[in-house]
Amino acid sequence: MRRFLPKTLNQWLLAAIPLVLLLAWLLNHWLLGVAAVLSALCVLAVRNPKFEGNWRRLPWLQKLFPQPAAPAPIQPAPVMPAPPPPPRRIRRHEAGASLAEQMIDQGRVALLLRPQVATSLSAADLEQAQAALDEAMAIVPQGQVAMRSRAFDHADDENPVRAERLIQVEGFFLDRFCVTNHDYEQFVADGGYEQMSLWDESIWPAVLGFVDRSGQPGPRYWENSTYAANLADHPVVGVSWYEACAYARWAGKRLPTDPEWVKAGSWPVFAEGAKPVQRRFPWGDSMDRKRVNVWGSGYVSTVAVHAMPAGASVNGVQQLIGNVWEWTSSTFGAWEPASRKIETALPLKSVRGGAYDTYFDTQSHCQFQSGESPLARKHNIGFRCSLGFCDVIHQIDQAAEDDADTRNTDRLPTATPEEVHA
Amino acid sequence: MRANGLLEMDSYRLAAYTVPCPCYICGGGNNFDAELCRHCHAPMALAHQATSQKIHPRMIAAVGPSGAGKTVYLGMLTDMLSRQDENMQLLARGAFSIRLQQNAMASLGRCEFPHKTPNEPDRWNWVHCQVLRKGQRATELIMPDLAGEALLEEVDHPNSYPVIRQFLSKCSGVMVLVDAPRVESGDHDEDFHTMKLITYLSELSADKKTNWHTRPVALVFSKADQCEHCFDDPQAFARRHTPGLVQQCRERLKRHHFFAVGVAGACGFRSEPFGKVHVPLRIEPRGIVEPFKWLLDELAT
Repeated sequence: MRRFLPKTLNQWLLAAIPLVLLLAWLLNHWLLGVAAVLSALCVLAVRNPKFEGNWRRLPWLQKLFPQPAAPAPIQPAPVMPAPPPPPRRIRRHEAGASLAEQMIDQGRVALLLRPQVATSLSAADLEQAQAALDEAMAIVPQGQVAMRSRAFDHADDENPVRAERLIQVEGFFLDRFCVTNHDYEQFVADGGYEQMSLWDESIWPAVLGFVDRSGQPGPRYWENSTYAANLADHPVVGVSWYEACAYARWAGKRLPTDPEWVKAGSWPVFAEGAKPVQRRFPWGDSMDRKRVNVWGSGYVSTVAVHAMPAGASVNGVQQLIGNVWEWTSSTFGAWEPASRKIETALPLKSVRGGAYDTYFDTQSHCQFQSGESPLARKHNIGFRCSLGFCDVIHQIDQAAEDDADTRNTDRLPTATPEEVHA
Repeated sequence: MRANGLLEMDSYRLAAYTVPCPCYICGGGNNFDAELCRHCHAPMALAHQATSQKIHPRMIAAVGPSGAGKTVYLGMLTDMLSRQDENMQLLARGAFSIRLQQNAMASLGRCEFPHKTPNEPDRWNWVHCQVLRKGQRATELIMPDLAGEALLEEVDHPNSYPVIRQFLSKCSGVMVLVDAPRVESGDHDEDFHTMKLITYLSELSADKKTNWHTRPVALVFSKADQCEHCFDDPQAFARRHTPGLVQQCRERLKRHHFFAVGVAGACGFRSEPFGKVHVPLRIEPRGIVEPFKWLLDELAT
């Protein structure tokens, strides 16, 4: 008797439908009848093999209407252990392609475009890598840039502090955006803190101390080696100068030097027989708080790296001013006259550009230099990377052409470092 | 004609001189045209404004040992609040009230700290301002920039600076600034100076209802940018580095709270002919408004 009883809800429903129909006919209640017919249709519909693929996606439906058992095979095959996968005969091209894509995703295009590596890439990969480089980095042509003292703006014309030095800068690529939390996570996930070759040997003892709030390797304000969910495209902060350098090495790049950074932002123009004309801010000579994230702009923290496109430099480098200070590879105080040298307990590294909490306009322009201990992991210091033309293949030809064009147009002085006292 | 005119003027002045004009801070009588009180050297403009505007400003003091950063803090606070257009605004009353802000900002803008406040009370800067807060009535405030050395002199030798005693007696609340890096480095002088100040305040009035036991005191660790963990938990920082101060506050002050503030992002030294000068490498204020806001909230309750 028991074997004739319905076993699943599905079967119970099917058995109940004729009963409900009978009840509806007996009570002369048409609504009950309609409900029973609709229920029957539904049950039939979900049992239809056409819907099999769809109902598999809904676990609660599967539980309600279990899938009918597949008919047993006539001659069941003996259960054999799965054969071991054959050794992968990966073609060189395929391996290169997948690795190249992975490295492009990680933001390590520069490594692919190194002369030693690029020759082994296929044309398609090379093209893809070059496109990725163009997208991520802007070209800054070679030329001279005037480097000034911190007190330049406040000194009289006769004051030796007004002296400025013309520095020759070779052509280079500069990241259009600061390194984001998402970018940096790739480095952390790739074991960047364990790859000692990325770190200066002198700093090895300190690397163990570069941990996040949970004690895991990572920037100071992260937790469990990851960032807050809404900060993926914000610049990474809480990283020391050494961490920034290690990331840059991992990505096949380097930190920009002080003159490089200033050149990218102030975009000097040399009129014949005149002093170089350099922009105070990447967009012009006066502060506009709508273009940058500094104190008084209306933000109280960092913003996404692509949030303020109006503040971009001539060549499309964004947020050079504001949001976060940026580590450079140079030493702080190199442009100060001897009489105004600033002493600190530890030699400081140069930071540039101002941050979201920088109070004065006079401290958030292209020429202003501040310093920070290379071990400091501050809430408002991030970084971006640069790359010399000579460090990548192919691009160099095009970049050199552009560079030559610019040189012809602007009539830059000869490429020897020169000190000029204004 | 000329002689008649002079006689009229003289008689007018004589009449005015017969009515003493009380100082707003010490209550001492002064001539109607005095610029500073002859008793305590507070600006008489405070009294004139209170009379003409029919207002009764409350007083808030920023006190602390010499070099704790009172001038920088007050200058930064007034400038930040006068530039903000949300939540809280500060409007100066009288040109003299802007001098402190102007001097401090001019120095910080050049990446220099302002000069030390002189000990002479007649050279101090006073701020009389109106604080506007969303959904609340405007508050009239007087905040002087007291000299740290004068404060310690008054604490060690009471009545050497009557203006300090009179002002602190009438203050509604006080912000005590403590140099966080010095405290962290184990310099107990800072701790002792602050404890002396708290003791001095506690002894100012014997009245149980109005003495400093019931008035709000914000204990502010200044220069906290040089010891960043101070920002994470100022109370824990105080317990770790100034246990004596914490105990004193717990016993003597009913309403107190610890804060951390920083103005310079990083600092260095420059050698000048007269010695080493402390210079800020950049200005990025942190936590400046919070102690002041807490104090105003406490005053409102």
